[in-house]
Amino acid sequence: MESTLADLEIATFAVDEVVEGTQTGWSDGRLTLALPQLAVGAGDPALAEATVEVVRPGDSVRISNVLDVALPSARIGEALPSARIGEALPSARAGEVRLHRLAGVAVLTLCDWAGAGYDGAEELPDSLVDMAGPGADRSPWGVTTNIVVRCVPSPGVEVAEADRAVRGAATSVATTIAEATAGATPDDVRSVGPLPPADASLPAVAVILQVASEGPLVDTFLDGEPLGEFAPRVLDERRLYEGRLTNGAYDWPGVRNVTAAYQDLSLLRELRAAHGERSRYAGLILAPGYLDGADQKRRAAEASAELAQSLVADGVVCTTFSSGNSHTDTMLTVQACERRGIGTVALVCETNGGLTDHVPEADCLVSTGNEDELVDAWIPERVVGGDDRARVGERVPAVHYLGGLAETGDARWTAVPA
Amino acid sequence: MSTVVHYLNQFFAGFGGEEAADHEPVRLDGPQGPGRGLAAAGLTVDVTLACGDDFFGEHEEDALSTLLGWIEEFEADVLVCGPSFGSGRYGYACGVLAREVGRRGIPVVAAMTPDSPGVLAAEGAAHIVPTGSNVAGMREALPVIASIASRLAAGEAVGGPDDEGYLPRGLRVNALVDRTGAERAIDLLLAKLAGDVATEVAPSGDRVPPPPPVDDLASARLALVTEAGCVPQGNPDRLPTRHANVWLRYDVADADGLAPGDYESVHAGFDTTAANADPNRLVPLDAVRELERAHIVGVVHDVFYTTSGVDTPVATAARHGQEIAAELREAQVGAVILTGT
Repeated sequence: MESTLADLEIATFAVDEVVEGTQTGWSDGRLTLALPQLAVGAGDPALAEATVEVVRPGDSVRISNVLDVALPSARIGEALPSARIGEALPSARAGEVRLHRLAGVAVLTLCDWAGAGYDGAEELPDSLVDMAGPGADRSPWGVTTNIVVRCVPSPGVEVAEADRAVRGAATSVATTIAEATAGATPDDVRSVGPLPPADASLPAVAVILQVASEGPLVDTFLDGEPLGEFAPRVLDERRLYEGRLTNGAYDWPGVRNVTAAYQDLSLLRELRAAHGERSRYAGLILAPGYLDGADQKRRAAEASAELAQSLVADGVVCTTFSSGNSHTDTMLTVQACERRGIGTVALVCETNGGLTDHVPEADCLVSTGNEDELVDAWIPERVVGGDDRARVGERVPAVHYLGGLAETGDARWTAVPA
Repeated sequence: MSTVVHYLNQFFAGFGGEEAADHEPVRLDGPQGPGRGLAAAGLTVDVTLACGDDFFGEHEEDALSTLLGWIEEFEADVLVCGPSFGSGRYGYACGVLAREVGRRGIPVVAAMTPDSPGVLAAEGAAHIVPTGSNVAGMREALPVIASIASRLAAGEAVGGPDDEGYLPRGLRVNALVDRTGAERAIDLLLAKLAGDVATEVAPSGDRVPPPPPVDDLASARLALVTEAGCVPQGNPDRLPTRHANVWLRYDVADADGLAPGDYESVHAGFDTTAANADPNRLVPLDAVRELERAHIVGVVHDVFYTTSGVDTPVATAARHGQEIAAELREAQVGAVILTGT
């Protein structure tokens, strides 16, 4: 689907305070949340329970079983209905669309799949956010005010259906609270429309965003549909801003690409800022990772490189999706690009054993941290999300803290020699 | 108030040279020898432990047991070893003690030449300050040791090897930096495109060299090991399909091969359809039985070892390898076919 959002704008509302009240609303930096109503709105027949609560930085709270994070965001336009994150949008005319987004607040979804009895779910790694204690800075979501949506699937519901409902609950809350700002004056408005031509002597830089979509609980969705097997493709980045690329992959949390990262990808923000100054933005390529076979991996890497070439990119930034297998996809993509004369930098997470994979052409890498490093044990006053997989009082590897080692470039950890 | 323990050999503790090298471990109050220099550099030694170099080398287990017992008894906040300079035996003792104390969570600072056997023996468990080969380097080393040890004893952070002047320990620790990965990536890429190539991480030199050929395959016991997640049909022992934290062994003493329907792969990292159609392609029991019958290999080991090698942290995988290798050694296995995915 081609985007028609030529003049898409993002209006940001800085949240100074979040309070509970009888009606969700917005007033001059103060976000009032009617939690019971939000929970009702998040309800779904596939869910036996959906609860909403607020957790703040500094609270002695560990959040467990965290699946995803979404930025509160709603599409506001006088002539158009709003659309939820992850949903396909009706067409819009240029200049009609503005995204309202709250800053400093995030919507976290929680579900204990193993506790709900789903086969194989016990193998999903423990996923944590600490609001205080030694792990508070290990997740970017330890410093935001978090609206936590905790879901319990109804008995007997298929896992894909339950996951659809869980993701829907999050987007319902995220959209509803952002809609509260309709008609209000934002703190900042930025255009994410087409960029003007830039000096042709500046290097053209593209992004290869790697995602994987392997089935329920390890899926990535575009316009609400699992990507499944797909060939690399050029994607209008405005689809990311609108929240149309969403996460449903609950593998290693430290290197998980959460929906919030897609909604406000640091790489795109920085490349737009650099456009015309230091570089030219060449485009975004969505590429598959975690591919099963060697041939598949090589074909996808070559196809990504070919697309980068078609964008006339001088250089590309290659991101990585999760841990292990996908690092080979990244390395092969680096190799394919370099062999076509396209310079690369890749973002990869390390382990205590070093890099998972490497090719000689990968001479320029960003380390997003060492996933095996142990974070000191902590005993919070309260656990939100269930005690079973909260690892209270244990030293916990950094990879269990959500988004802390993101290989999309959205976090600030790295690994250094010692 | 922190407790600083200092380890010396017989010479630096004042018991004598080679004639005292078989001196048993002893404990002494306060600083001795170079410990006084540490005090002058700002680190007050509370207890000195000493041991003869030969005694340590010939009675390593006993010496370690005694020394570790004292270090725990004193509730040491930091251990300083040496400087041992270019001394091989002394350096080795410092390295081994540093490794064992470091593994117990007590910070250790040592000092020796970069090529000392103690550096390898320490296995990254200590901050090792590089020195020259003899005591001429004492004056230069002691302030560095004192500075690092003081902060470690106080639980304070210590900077990286280049900033602090210790040898890289082969560790990579996490650091929170001002700029996002995205900002750093773009800066690195634009610099690279301008001709200035740099990287934040390079592949480690931790490559496993190929082992030498098996001396006499026709008399060797051959074992099969796999990370392909091959298990009896139905996965009765619940081998995880990914993030495996266990390995399993299955008896194949009476089998000529792995029959389809009897075995399957539960590995979550590849399409198992073809493998499940013939599990021998995961664990080549059929092929090695033929080699056994042809007397090309001596005997096929009675069990095969399996785990799921997908998303497993390297440290866990290393532990699996060590545990399986220990069993193989115990069973006098002389050759292994390791099948990977």
